[in-house]
Amino acid sequence: MSESSTLHEEIKAILIDELMLDVEMDEIGDETPLMGPDSLGLDSVDALQLVVAIEKKFGFKISDPEAAKGILRCVKTIADAIRESKSA
Amino acid sequence: MSDHAILITGANGGIGNATARYFLEHDESCYVYLGIRSGTNEADALAAEFPGRCGILSLDVTKAGEWESSLEKVAGENRVITVLVNNAGHHDDHLMANMPMDSWTDVIESNLSSVFLGSQAVLRGMMGERFGRIINISSLSALLAPLGQTNYAAAKAGVVGMTGSLAKEVARMGITVNAICPGYIETSATGAGDPEETKARKKAVPMRRFGQPREVAAAVFFLASKDAAYITGATLKIDGGIL
Repeated sequence: MSESSTLHEEIKAILIDELMLDVEMDEIGDETPLMGPDSLGLDSVDALQLVVAIEKKFGFKISDPEAAKGILRCVKTIADAIRESKSA
Repeated sequence: MSDHAILITGANGGIGNATARYFLEHDESCYVYLGIRSGTNEADALAAEFPGRCGILSLDVTKAGEWESSLEKVAGENRVITVLVNNAGHHDDHLMANMPMDSWTDVIESNLSSVFLGSQAVLRGMMGERFGRIINISSLSALLAPLGQTNYAAAKAGVVGMTGSLAKEVARMGITVNAICPGYIETSATGAGDPEETKARKKAVPMRRFGQPREVAAAVFFLASKDAAYITGATLKIDGGIL
């Protein structure tokens, strides 16, 4: 398993375990929208929980609400942002 | 991993001090921070009685910066606040026709804005722990709305509203938020009044007595426990049956 897919799996695990989403890991695509139409159906409280969980697990702080909208679009955008923060 | 701790604001006063004592006496493993704005006599005495289990925080609950520095101190001691008792506050009664604007502002800030600031300050830590208990000490005045207390009744009713709304926001995160509305409680404040007035007040209580601070503390202790995990957004009145 590549480093990239491991990170994606870890983010999906957060969605399932921390946000208690009633879905299986393989039902979450890397680019499945987290919010809005045809999405996993996260609401603003889920998004806040996700931000806290990401910060705790990866030490990556999302403090700008505007940036958060882009980062929290899907699993891939979250993973990209985490990787970018680590390489910075 | 940080150790869990309790923060009680207004811990020099009757209910705050009794609540701190109740936690210390009933949970040997707990660490209690006593939030004090001024004068530390009662808090110092408690800290001396329970060495190594109490910390005193100099905290004006109406100032965001003081919440921030207090929580930095707590984090520096490798602890995280997982129980917050928003108890600090005061009243300053006037008929509205004569109420100075300062009286309105001070009472709203010390009783309502303080609960917002304190709750916001501790929420992130609680979310990270996926456990938290916020217990807001409101007042029977929130429900009774006595004359002369337009400022205090509005502030305390605001606390009840905030409690319900915040409870819904954080329910999924293992955090509960509840309010307690004490009626007449035997403290230095209630004992200092006119004896005839005190007598009349006791007569208005179906139990014919004022409550003891310890009787409020016991409810706070329960709401802070793991056993109270399914109680959130509740308003518990402790008033000897007045309402």
